[in-house]
Amino acid sequence: MTVTAAPVSRPHDVTALVEPDRVHGAVYTSPEVFELEMKRIFREGWVFVAHESEVPEKGDYVTRRIGGEPMVVARGKDGVVRVLANRCTHRGNRLCNAEKGNSSSFRCPYHGWTFGNDGKLVGVPMRDGYGDRLNAVREELGLVQAPRQESYGGFVFASLAPTGISLLEHLGNATKAIDRLLDLSPTREIQLSAGWMKHHNNCNWKMVMENNVDGYHALFTHASVYDAVRPAKVSHVPSKVEVLVRDLGNGHSEIDYEPEYTRLDEEFIWYGRLPREKAPEYVAAMEAAHGPAKAHQALVSGPPHTLIFPNLFLAEMNVMTVEPLNAGETIAFTAPVLIPGAPEINTKTLRRTEGAMGPAGFLIADDGEIGQRNQMGLAAQDPEWVVLSRGSDTDVDDETGRVNHDKSAETPQRGWWKHWAGVLAGSRG
Amino acid sequence: MAEPGTVQEVVRVQPADVAVDPAVAGLIYLEARLADEARYSEWESLWADDGLYWVPMHPGDDPEVTLSYIYDNRRRIKSRVAQLNTGTRHSQTPPSVMRRTISNLEVVARDEDTTTVASNFALYEYRYAMTVWAGRYVHRVQLTDAGPLLVAKTVHLVNAGGALPTMSFLI
Repeated sequence: MTVTAAPVSRPHDVTALVEPDRVHGAVYTSPEVFELEMKRIFREGWVFVAHESEVPEKGDYVTRRIGGEPMVVARGKDGVVRVLANRCTHRGNRLCNAEKGNSSSFRCPYHGWTFGNDGKLVGVPMRDGYGDRLNAVREELGLVQAPRQESYGGFVFASLAPTGISLLEHLGNATKAIDRLLDLSPTREIQLSAGWMKHHNNCNWKMVMENNVDGYHALFTHASVYDAVRPAKVSHVPSKVEVLVRDLGNGHSEIDYEPEYTRLDEEFIWYGRLPREKAPEYVAAMEAAHGPAKAHQALVSGPPHTLIFPNLFLAEMNVMTVEPLNAGETIAFTAPVLIPGAPEINTKTLRRTEGAMGPAGFLIADDGEIGQRNQMGLAAQDPEWVVLSRGSDTDVDDETGRVNHDKSAETPQRGWWKHWAGVLAGSRG
Repeated sequence: MAEPGTVQEVVRVQPADVAVDPAVAGLIYLEARLADEARYSEWESLWADDGLYWVPMHPGDDPEVTLSYIYDNRRRIKSRVAQLNTGTRHSQTPPSVMRRTISNLEVVARDEDTTTVASNFALYEYRYAMTVWAGRYVHRVQLTDAGPLLVAKTVHLVNAGGALPTMSFLI
C-alpha cells in the first residue's frame, strides 16, 4: 500500500505558539501563520514604506509593496507625499512599473486612463461611451490612498486599515532611536538616495529582523570577519563591554552600544574609529549646528542599532527593511544613510555598506546563509520549540524599557514575540 | 518615415574587434577557472596593486553617489579572499560548486599595455539547488613584464535590478 503524506496544515491558535521564553517553530514555517501576519501586522498595523528623501522633488515616485500589495509612493504637484495603491481603478492593471522615477501623471497603458500624481483620475479616453455613468462615480475612481499615513523624521509609515493607534503611539520609545540617527546630521535630515540593495533570503522574514538585534550570534556567525579582516568595533564578549540589549515595548528593541562608547568617550568608534581630522567639514558642520559639547556626545553615542516592529531596522548608518514573500522567503532591502552636505562621509558610508551588507557583504551574506539553514532545521518537527530564555532572570525594567546588561541576552526577541502574539491575536498594534 | 519600398540610409556599425591577445584571453579564462574552483589566493594573485572589483546595481551607476553590490579596491579584495580562506565564511562553507562559460569576447579599448575586453558569461552555481547567474563582464588587463595582471573587473548582472541570492563566492 502506498502511503501518501498529506501536507501538514493545521490551524494554529497563535497565542499558544508564544510563551514568555520560547516560541513554537510553526511561527516561522506555517503558511496559515504567514497569512494572518500579512493581515494583522502588514495590512492593519503600521509598516515602514519609504523615506521622504527618496522622493525629494514634486513628481518623484518609488514603487513598494505592503503585505504583497503594490503601492506607489509619490510626491504630488502640491508637494504632498502620498502612499497610493498601484492599481488602475478601471480594470486593475498595475499602473506604475518602474522602480522609481518622476512623472506628473500615471497613464495606464491598457485603456489610457490617466491619474494625477496626487491620485486623482484626470483622463478617461472616449469618455462619451460611459454616458452619464462615469461622471457619477468619477470622484471615487481616483487611486486608492492608504487609509492611514504618517511620518516621523522623514520615515513614511502607512496602514491599510482605517482605524487604529497613531504612529506615535505605535513607535513609543522607538522615536528616540530615530532621533539618535537624526542627531548625526547637522540639519537633522538624512538621505536614502543611494539606492537599496536587494537580497533574497530563503528564510522567514522574522528571522531576518530578529537576527539584527541578536547580540549572541556575532562571535560565531561572523567569526570569519573578526579573524581575518578586522576586530569587532568593541568586543562581542558580553562580560568585556557595557553594551545593553533593550526591549523598548511594542515589539521594538535594540542593542545599545552607547554606554560602552560613552565609557570610552571616543568619537566614531561606530565608524571604523575614523579620526575626526578625516572628516573636518562634517565635524565643523556638526559643531556649528549643535555646539561642540552636543556634537561630541552625538559623535560618541553614534547611530542606533534598533529594530522597529515590524519591518524597519535602523542598522547604524544603514536602513534595512524586509518584504516577506511567503513563510520561507524574504527580500531584505538595505540603503546607506547619507548626510546632506557631508560628501567626505557619504562616499565612505557607501563603501562601508557594501563591505558589510547585502548579498555579498562580509556580514550579511553569512546571516543569509545561517537564516536559510535555520529554516531547513525547523523542518524537523521535534523539538517543537525554539528556546529564548537567555538572560530571563537578569532583565531589569526601567524608564527606557526592559534592559539586560548582557548583550547576548535574548531580551529583544522576548519583547518581539510578546508583541507579535498580541497583534496576531487581534490587539491592534 | 520612409515610403514603403525605399531604402533608408542607415549608419552601419563596425563588426566587433575580436582580436583579443591570447595572453589577455588566457588571463580572463584563468581568472574564471580559479574563481569557479574556489582557489582564492591564486585568484587574488592575478590582481594588479590598484585593482578594482565592481558589481554595480545598474549599468551607468556612479559609484561615488550610488550603492553597488560590490566595490572592492585592492585592499578589500585582499580582505574578501582572507575571509573566504578562513573556512568559516559560512555562505561559502563548503564552497559552491561552480562552472562558468565566457563568450562573445570583444576588445572595447586598448592602449600601449592595457586592453579592455567585454564578454558575456553564464555561471552555474550549485549549492542547495542550482542557481544560474548571467551578465556581462568587462575585464581590464595590463600586460607587464611579470605577465598579464587584472586591473579592473566589472560585472553587470542581468538581474542586478532584482533581489539577488547570496553572492559571497567570486562572481
